[in-house]
Amino acid sequence: MAVVFLVEDDEAIRTELSRLLCRYGYDCRTSDDYANMVDVILRESPQLVLLDLNLPVYDGYCVCRELRRRSQIPVIIVTSRDSDADELMSMNLGADDFITKPYHTQILLARIAAVLKRAYPAAPPQILSHKGLELDLARGVARYRGKSAELTKNEIKILQLLIRNRGRVLSRGELMNALWQTDEFIDDNTLTVNVNRLRRKLEGIGLEDYLITKRGCGYLV
Amino acid sequence: MKLRDFLRDRWLSAAAVLVSSLFAAALLAALGAGAYAAGYVAALFVLGEIAALAVEYFQKRSFYAKLLDSLEHLDKKHLIAEMLPEPAFTEGKILCGVVSRAGKSMNDEIAKYRGEAKDYREYVETWMHEIKTPISACRLILENNPGSLSRSLGKDFDRIENYVEQALFYARSGSVEKDYVLKRCSLRRLVSSTVKKHAALLIESGVKVETDSLDLPVLADAKWTEFVIGQILINAVKYRRNAPAVRFAGTRGRDSVTLTVEDNGIGIPQKDLGRVFEKGFTGENGRMVARSTGLGLYLCRRLCGKMGLGLSIASIQGDGTAVSIVFPLSGMYGVVDAGPPGKAGRLTKT
Repeated sequence: MAVVFLVEDDEAIRTELSRLLCRYGYDCRTSDDYANMVDVILRESPQLVLLDLNLPVYDGYCVCRELRRRSQIPVIIVTSRDSDADELMSMNLGADDFITKPYHTQILLARIAAVLKRAYPAAPPQILSHKGLELDLARGVARYRGKSAELTKNEIKILQLLIRNRGRVLSRGELMNALWQTDEFIDDNTLTVNVNRLRRKLEGIGLEDYLITKRGCGYLV
Repeated sequence: MKLRDFLRDRWLSAAAVLVSSLFAAALLAALGAGAYAAGYVAALFVLGEIAALAVEYFQKRSFYAKLLDSLEHLDKKHLIAEMLPEPAFTEGKILCGVVSRAGKSMNDEIAKYRGEAKDYREYVETWMHEIKTPISACRLILENNPGSLSRSLGKDFDRIENYVEQALFYARSGSVEKDYVLKRCSLRRLVSSTVKKHAALLIESGVKVETDSLDLPVLADAKWTEFVIGQILINAVKYRRNAPAVRFAGTRGRDSVTLTVEDNGIGIPQKDLGRVFEKGFTGENGRMVARSTGLGLYLCRRLCGKMGLGLSIASIQGDGTAVSIVFPLSGMYGVVDAGPPGKAGRLTKT
């Protein structure tokens, strides 16, 4: 489980973003010791740092510079300052990515995954599992009791989202929105086709009634 | 300065010299100096006056001619104080003093208002950035507590965000400073990041999104252009009919690339079409169909004008609307800037 360190002075965002990251399989650490932030971060030795720019004591630039001087940890700057100058400054200080608030959570998660993948190409493949089904995200394969099925990009995305939100009904809109965030502007019919094909592939490896349709609400695993 | 006008101003002094020379001549004649001597003295007086008037006339004529000429050629007339020629006569010096003091006071006044406008703008920008933090927090809370309540609140957060963004761009569009950067970007990236941003609204309204030949490079400021496309998209959703669809198409012209955003909505009545870019104009659709502030398209035009992009709209009532953004290609491979800000002259309405 990748450790993500979150540097953010707004308490509401800190709490909620930690919860979100936990739900998406990251081990999220935070601290409010702004005077010794860099030491705290290095002690936790995370795989990634999410850094806000407006901070008490030392601002985000200082933290980023100091962090870069002492380590190679990837840094994503997450801020409400949206000028080109801020972006340029962040990149010059060695940040790996720059995201402005208010961000779409799916985009933030995608950027985190991309930076981690770039920084740690040899990391073990991320595998999600639920009710005996294993979803290998890197290979795009679903496995169940020795049988496996290859999934398309959209099918992986759909299944991944359903498993991450296990036990909860996901609306068609939410699924579509997540797919749109990967540049697939699919319409309602295409989603139905994708879901049906996914269901058939799952049935093919012995997972009958794994993907449940809640009429008028959405889908559930 | 015409000679006649000059002489009209000087008639009293000329008449006085004439009268006094006549009196002098009469006196000399009465004293028995002879007609020649009297005539000589009188002529001397008159010639002296003529010479003095001539010198004065040419001096003043050259000064005022220069002054009027500089005024004529000056872009900002209130800067005339800086351009005054140095006059050789007292009235001119007084005039120069007055004009330069008036000019200075005017400049101070302008500087004061410019400073105030800048302060206000800075405040507004800070406020916009501050408000983004609680909005982000709310969004995360909604994301972590999924359900029907969160879904409907999410929609209203989209609206709040759109209004905040509109205000931010309104503040930016009015400033004299150039705070955009024209860079090469791909039309596809501009369109897809805008569509992603408004994904929830589009999906909720069941709008089908189609794209066609968008792999074209254009010269634009990404944030500004995405805002413009976003406003057009929001309008397409607002004024939709059954089975709504939005189509983004790029076409490459000889010296420009055009992005056309076409919807199959209710369209705009012919009589309103010419005025949709006006500030505060809502038209029949704005009153009857959806709540309109009359700001969206106005801002689009302002921002496009500043970036040097063309913006035009075509519509058939009951059939759909097409908005086109024209990105000039000039400067794409050389200079980064495509033109001076505020050049809205390229705007066309069809």
